[in-house]
Amino acid sequence: MGSLFRSEPMCLAQLFLQSGTAYECLSALGEKGLVQFRDLNQNVSSFQRKFVGEVKRCEELERILAYLVQEINRADIPLPEGETSPPAPPLKQVLEMQEQLQKLEVELREVTKNKEKLRKNLLELIEYTHMLRVTKTFVKRNVEFEPTYEEFPPLERESLLDYNSMQRLGAKLGFVSGLIQQGKVEAFEKMLWRVCKGYTIVTYAELDEPLEDPETGEVIKWYVFLISFWGEQIGHKVKKICDCYHCHVYPYPNTAEERREIQEGLNTRIQDLYTVLHKTEDYLRQVLCKAAESVYSRVIQVKKMKAIYHMLNMCSFDVTNKCLIAEVWCPEADLHNLRRALEDGSRESGATIPSFMNRIPTKETPPTLIRTNKFTEGFQNIVDAYGVGSYREVNPALFTIITFPFLFAVMFGDFGHGFVMFLFALLLVLNENKIKLNQSQEIMRMFFNGRYILLLMGLFSVYTGLIYNDCFSKSVNLFGSGWNVSAMYSSSHSLGEQKEMVLWNDSVVRHNKVLQLDPSIPGVFQGPYPLGIDPIWNLATNRLTFLNSFKMKMSVILGIIHMTFGVVLGIFNHLHFRKKFNIYLVSIPELLFMLCIFGYLIFMIIYKWLVFSAETSRVAPSILIEFINMFLFPASETKGLYTGQEHVQRLLLVITALSVPVLFLGKPLFLWWLHNGRSCFGVSRSGYTLIRKDSEEEVSLLGSQDIEEGNRQMDDGCREMTCEEFNFGEILMTQAIHSIEYCLGCISNTASYLRLWALSLAHAQLSDVLWAMLMRVGLRVDTTYGVLLLLPVIALFAVLTIFILLIMEGLSAFLHAIRLHWVEFQNKFYVGAGTKFVPFSFSLLASKFSNDDLA
Amino acid sequence: MLECAELYFNVDHGYLEGLVRGCKAGLLTKQDYINLVQCETLEDLKIHLQTTDYGNFLANQTNPLTVSKIDTEMRKKLCREFEYFRNHSLEPLSTFFTYMTCNYMIDNVILLMNGALQKKSVKEIMSKCHPLGRFTEMEAVNIAETPSDLFNAILVETPLAPFFHDCMSENTLDELNIELLRNKLYKSYLEAFYKFCKNHGDVTAEIMCPILEFEADRRAFIITLNSFGTELSKDDRETLYPRCGKLYPEGLRLLAQAEDFEQMKRVAEHYGEYKPLFEAVGDRNGGKTLEDVFYEHEVQMNVLAFNRQFHYGVFYAYTKLKEQEMRNIVWIAECISQRHRTKINSYIPIL
Repeated sequence: MGSLFRSEPMCLAQLFLQSGTAYECLSALGEKGLVQFRDLNQNVSSFQRKFVGEVKRCEELERILAYLVQEINRADIPLPEGETSPPAPPLKQVLEMQEQLQKLEVELREVTKNKEKLRKNLLELIEYTHMLRVTKTFVKRNVEFEPTYEEFPPLERESLLDYNSMQRLGAKLGFVSGLIQQGKVEAFEKMLWRVCKGYTIVTYAELDEPLEDPETGEVIKWYVFLISFWGEQIGHKVKKICDCYHCHVYPYPNTAEERREIQEGLNTRIQDLYTVLHKTEDYLRQVLCKAAESVYSRVIQVKKMKAIYHMLNMCSFDVTNKCLIAEVWCPEADLHNLRRALEDGSRESGATIPSFMNRIPTKETPPTLIRTNKFTEGFQNIVDAYGVGSYREVNPALFTIITFPFLFAVMFGDFGHGFVMFLFALLLVLNENKIKLNQSQEIMRMFFNGRYILLLMGLFSVYTGLIYNDCFSKSVNLFGSGWNVSAMYSSSHSLGEQKEMVLWNDSVVRHNKVLQLDPSIPGVFQGPYPLGIDPIWNLATNRLTFLNSFKMKMSVILGIIHMTFGVVLGIFNHLHFRKKFNIYLVSIPELLFMLCIFGYLIFMIIYKWLVFSAETSRVAPSILIEFINMFLFPASETKGLYTGQEHVQRLLLVITALSVPVLFLGKPLFLWWLHNGRSCFGVSRSGYTLIRKDSEEEVSLLGSQDIEEGNRQMDDGCREMTCEEFNFGEILMTQAIHSIEYCLGCISNTASYLRLWALSLAHAQLSDVLWAMLMRVGLRVDTTYGVLLLLPVIALFAVLTIFILLIMEGLSAFLHAIRLHWVEFQNKFYVGAGTKFVPFSFSLLASKFSNDDLA
Repeated sequence: MLECAELYFNVDHGYLEGLVRGCKAGLLTKQDYINLVQCETLEDLKIHLQTTDYGNFLANQTNPLTVSKIDTEMRKKLCREFEYFRNHSLEPLSTFFTYMTCNYMIDNVILLMNGALQKKSVKEIMSKCHPLGRFTEMEAVNIAETPSDLFNAILVETPLAPFFHDCMSENTLDELNIELLRNKLYKSYLEAFYKFCKNHGDVTAEIMCPILEFEADRRAFIITLNSFGTELSKDDRETLYPRCGKLYPEGLRLLAQAEDFEQMKRVAEHYGEYKPLFEAVGDRNGGKTLEDVFYEHEVQMNVLAFNRQFHYGVFYAYTKLKEQEMRNIVWIAECISQRHRTKINSYIPIL
């Protein structure tokens, strides 16, 4: 708990890393994730830093590894993911690794290039055979059906398409044939027609089996075409058009024998290529398999190495260039770990001079570190979403653990719904170690991360549901109602009593639509229900009126307690930051202002509950009127709650009125007095006095050292910056704004807590409507068919309950609970102007390696 | 479009406008340029670009790095973004995108034809073509021998077809004719684009028309400037001027009569918008060139386009700004690789 109440104390440390061992030290630090590095070279652009060359080398390695992973994935070889993450590679191994990888890359590129070439060759040959097969049918068809050739003299009895005979005629008939992609056929034909003005004849047929494109490797449908044309000129154009549409053109055999020869030759060549390709692929697979074994650890190692060099880039060199100086933020509790990590690092590299560290004093605000576990993490996230806490400030997350689920449950109060939510969260919690849940998609992961919040929210909803006595909008009669209807009948009372009271008789019961139970009649009200609301109210028509009054008062009481608690937490902040005057001049007036007005309101509510009973209820004054009268001093005296009420109220008003000017002027005037009377004390001291005190001796020691080194002037400049000037006007303005905000906020925030009532009302009514519209319909049908109807009705009821009441209503209640915490609660004490502590840790690197990660 | 287009704009184009504004936020800032200029080698440049929106777009390039590699990768990146916009666009924004690509298509066609004249291989020139202006029929351009041939056979079905109506001729395509063809195509393209924006109305017209007017006038000035000392007759020159700018009609007629730079400057002085531009041009021994001054003005107009919402001009402006940024980076990279640091600062910062 202690660690959650405030962020951890931090200190600024200077690491002196011997340049030989810096890499190893940082590797040891990165494994442990202890410190956050400060960038000492902020004004040096990224390519002018010391270790750019090394970073570049890492990038080169990453490029090679990405290529490897891509090839391995393409070959469908499973990538083994190691369980443990290997440490960053020692410097000696890096060169070796680089050499290995480069060799591997060269080899791989060569083999793949060969393979691609072979495959392309093979595909082309296959295409060629297909083309030959298909075009054979074209020619036959041409001979039979082409009417154009009929014009030739009948003397020529040989095949009209015979090349030799055409030559004799003086016209040179040419053929171009090949394959074209399916999508381009139409455009291709059109252009051919346009360019060649119809002097060509195109025949084409679809290939029955899809083939791979030798260039892209895509499997697509192809068309085989055959263009016949006369004349050289047109031939050139046709060829150009074929190029334009990326057709695969193959030589067209002129005679049948030639065709057969080519086909035979092709077949043998395809056979040969197949065997060669298989051998190449086998070899490639072997190489890739070998590479796949180590690729995971290599990727991690290179990532770590790159991270280390990025950190080293943030360090500065000392004058002698022998050692690197890094400035880090480190939690004080981890200092000895830091020392040990440095020792380990130096020992590993076998350096003669160990690296060491020095604490240095600073006035800069350290980053905020709040250690969380899996339970508190969710709540801390809710607070961090508003703002990361200032250093050493009271952390509202600790209280949020209880108040958040509670305020949620006040709005979500339903025993049944709460239980369903609890069960769902319990399921998540019990299965939290399963990896599938961790990596599921976004919405599920959101629920998973908030599983403990959900768990508590469900539990608290069960509790408030019991108090409201609501279970899916129905009440549960566990202990027996405290009301007795039969006592209202005249027969159960003596005659003497009957005269004084309005009792029921048969005619009254028969003729009245609505009957009223009177608690003042003895025997009717037998005492309060042991837990929560009496179930009889579920039957009453004035149930809403009763519940509204109850819930409204409850939300005001809860809200004021919550806000007062916030102001009290502010006192803890002032105590810790040694600003005691703030307690007297800010916190106490604030408390008085709040309690004298709204605390008194609570008092009146509770007083009225306790003092007035059923018998005296008719003479009970209205709290609203009393409260208004408190400010208006009406002329006519009203009958108050208790004697002497007027004087008490006057006193409270005076206190309230007095606290306002104190709130406005107290702090500025006091600071002004301090500044004039006792200058240089306290004003500019903020929360870091503790650290300063600890290390005051070191200041003097290091101070001289720094001057000798002479390279820290710039940093010194930044450190002095925190000494602010005293500006009375500014302080006055800040305090005035703060006071106005607070005083108005007391009223508006109290009203804001009424959302507890509103949402809880809405939830109860919505579930009531759902019951009335669905279940009541299902239950009204008689038994024979009722069962058949009830099944779908229950299913629908369940679905609507989950989606509308649990998810939708739950989200809205969640949102309002968040708002109540962020706005109404946290603005009473929480500044939230800190920066988060982000340690240099390898575990924060994306350890999963996916394709997009590398590519 | 309906009268209150603001109400409906986001239904169809809200997502893309949001995207393009996000992309615009990734343009390099002055500070980035200052850092880039300090680079010693292209590797440094690469490292610095990695810290910007370009990310590790050069990560898969094997060494050594060259300027052309950087240029192609940058173009690819722009192209990816543009394709994404285009694939997600609805009418009439998609027509607007088509108009935007026509610009590059014209350039590519002309480039290919010039290449064919100089007997260079198609593949070599294809790699130089701007990826935004790629289309399938492009590679067959060198079949054509006359402009009407080119139109009838190859470009009939491309978006460029409507721009051919007044450049159909049977002249063989030599260097001069190609240049004429380019300018005529540009002229009808600009006029068509201008008409499209004007008809679209609303904020789009208010933003795009001035930009296109400026573009038209710039072309007029550049054509005039380039025609000094060539055999191009004054009448021919006048037919090349796009007639949708502020100069039309008086300015163009005067411009057609201009015989040297001074006369051109005198024409420009009649127009409040162009007068300061010509005054900013330095003389021969230093100062800015006319081209740079025009570029600067264009950048300014494009940046201002982002000040208004619910119009298509942002897409045009973003593409142009990105192009300017690429020109800047290439300029800086060239200066670095050629060790010609004296002129490295004459890039045109955008933000």
